[in-house]
Amino acid sequence: MLQHPKDRRDPLSRREFLRRAGATGVALPSLAAILAACGDDGGGDATTSSPGAGLQLARPDNPVTLPITDDNPPIADGLSPEGGPLKIFGYNDYIWKKILNGFSDEYGVDVEYTVFDTPEQMVAKVQSNGADFDIIVTVTLENVGKLAQGKLIQPLNATYIPNLAANVWDVFQSPFYDVGARYTAPYIVYSTGIGWRNDVVTDDIAAMDNPYDILWDQRFAGQTHLLNGSRDTLAAALLRMGADVNTDDPAVLDEAKQMLLDGVQAMNWKFDHVDYNELGAFDIHQTWSGQIYYYQWFLPKGLDIGSFSYVWPPKAPGGRSGIITNDVFAIPRGAANPVLAHAMIDWMLDQRNAEPNYLSYEGFQPPLNALTPDYILSTGSVPENLANILIAKEDFALGVQELELAPAVNQLYQQIYQEVTGGA
Amino acid sequence: MPEGAASGTRGAWFPRWFWPSFATPATLWLLAFFVVPFFVILAIAFGRLDPIFLTPAPVYNPAGWSFGPFGDVLSQIFSSGSIYQSALAHTLVFVGTATALCLAIGYPVAYFIARHAGRFKTLFLVLFIAPFWISYMMRMLAWINLLQPNGYVNRGLEALGLIDGPVYWLNGKPLTVILGLTYGYIPYMILPLYGTLDRIPASTLEASRDLGAGQLSTFLRVTLPLSRQGILAGLVIVSLPMFGDYYTTTLLAGTRNTAMIGNLIVSSIQSSLVQTGASLVLILLLLLIVPMLYYLRTTERAAEIGRGA
Repeated sequence: MLQHPKDRRDPLSRREFLRRAGATGVALPSLAAILAACGDDGGGDATTSSPGAGLQLARPDNPVTLPITDDNPPIADGLSPEGGPLKIFGYNDYIWKKILNGFSDEYGVDVEYTVFDTPEQMVAKVQSNGADFDIIVTVTLENVGKLAQGKLIQPLNATYIPNLAANVWDVFQSPFYDVGARYTAPYIVYSTGIGWRNDVVTDDIAAMDNPYDILWDQRFAGQTHLLNGSRDTLAAALLRMGADVNTDDPAVLDEAKQMLLDGVQAMNWKFDHVDYNELGAFDIHQTWSGQIYYYQWFLPKGLDIGSFSYVWPPKAPGGRSGIITNDVFAIPRGAANPVLAHAMIDWMLDQRNAEPNYLSYEGFQPPLNALTPDYILSTGSVPENLANILIAKEDFALGVQELELAPAVNQLYQQIYQEVTGGA
Repeated sequence: MPEGAASGTRGAWFPRWFWPSFATPATLWLLAFFVVPFFVILAIAFGRLDPIFLTPAPVYNPAGWSFGPFGDVLSQIFSSGSIYQSALAHTLVFVGTATALCLAIGYPVAYFIARHAGRFKTLFLVLFIAPFWISYMMRMLAWINLLQPNGYVNRGLEALGLIDGPVYWLNGKPLTVILGLTYGYIPYMILPLYGTLDRIPASTLEASRDLGAGQLSTFLRVTLPLSRQGILAGLVIVSLPMFGDYYTTTLLAGTRNTAMIGNLIVSSIQSSLVQTGASLVLILLLLLIVPMLYYLRTTERAAEIGRGA
């Protein structure tokens, strides 16, 4: 039987776990060291900070004001845009070429786009060659703090981004992970839920008391896919357990790992990002709301978008927890074209660009006041059966975010992920 | 003859460094693109991680190397049920089976082209190789389309009445991975085999028959032994890249039960487990040195026999 983590005896406090992890070199990749740190040695206070690494870990109840230092100031007011080229460092297909061309025409500069695959790759490259890029599209929330506190990104100058104050949801004017929006501006929002083929799966997954159970339902063994990322994969188990998706409790993580290992044996999950070539190859998929939107453009012959359903558990009758989050723009420290980079952020927060970029290409919703769910539905772009992929700003109060972890804990998440997936 | 000079062919002479200097480009190439990168891998595997960013902090001074992470990976490979051990087992089974299939399919093809294609030899060779002018990735993506639940393979099997419903070939079936590897690498088996078989003099085979050997006996006692070097070359050329392959199984399977050691390496370097990835690279290298040394030894022995003859 699943047990709520609060009902479980805490064998080791997070503070103690992290202290011992640091002492045994867990900031380094030794699983043995991590396991040694997990040994039971009494309790202690819980905290969300990492004493070893000195990182401030932002949480909704522990907002973080990222420091601005003299050696890493924002750019001055009133500067003219540079001559470019604007060098974007981003996920593949994250901005429509047409929108980039529009920016290029508006500012008379070339735009170069370099791709990264994973947040870890992005961090490594920004750390070694950050100044080679002008803007990062995008940073996930679990990396904001370390990039800013490590001075790998520069503070923003809001005077160059008027659309942030004018168009963006108020929740992002001063988010808890970056109070005052000193270093970041939001790009897109999305929820992480469960998508399924309603022409194959007759169960009403949305009506289940715990919709996450369907990911372990052996009737769909071999036909169920999970997202391929350490945070999302572990979150499937943690959310099923009713646990915190940012937990650093070794016992909870161990339980989640075991649940995933049991699942991988019983279900033979496939781990992917729901690439277009996977469409039609699964019955059930842990998925992002934005990803399921553009299924409609890549469906194999004979398969209709009406055959897909989606549930985000917090808005389902069972009211289980679920992930809702956002990605953010950031500008690397030492960027050669910082004014242009600010202009690019402003460009993407302009509804005239954000809306076509979202509805015609990118599929992930920008958090603009004008783009309400009702308005988006009225455009006819989102099928009625997938109306629940749309996000209202109030939804953020219902969900949770995958946030920054202490390095040792982050390492543990990644080791569990590798153990579960085998690198697949 | 001046000091420091050596005699060359046809009465010419050159400085002693002349002929060895021809190896300079290859030596520089190896230094730049093998020795230096390999040292970087060592420096990462035995180095440190940035305590905040968890990115690798290579240690280039061997005196400062730490072998802890490498030892952890190594010990887990010998731990029953560990992911490293199962990935290694998958790799050995998949690569072994696919290489055997490459040989089983490739040898008759190469034999046919070399012995029976006559004046159409070149045409057949080009036709067999032509599909492989397309990139490996594109061919694997084509397989995805073929093997999808509503793809041509399932439709064909259904039309023949061999299956009642779609077979989910792409959802973690080892057979799909093995067939994908076989398809992807088979030309690299056919080409060296063809080169070897084509060079066997017809007079040698005729002599065998003149001495009373039948077709089968001639094949087993003459053709097969004389094509041994081609077989070995094909096995090495095919299996070495297969050991490092990860995208075949990623594209055609993508499950834990089909993950190969290449998948672990890639997933490690794409995460903060970079030292694990570097350690796995070193272990794979050690593993592959064994068949490579065997190949070099047999090649050298064959050359010695040739010189002796």
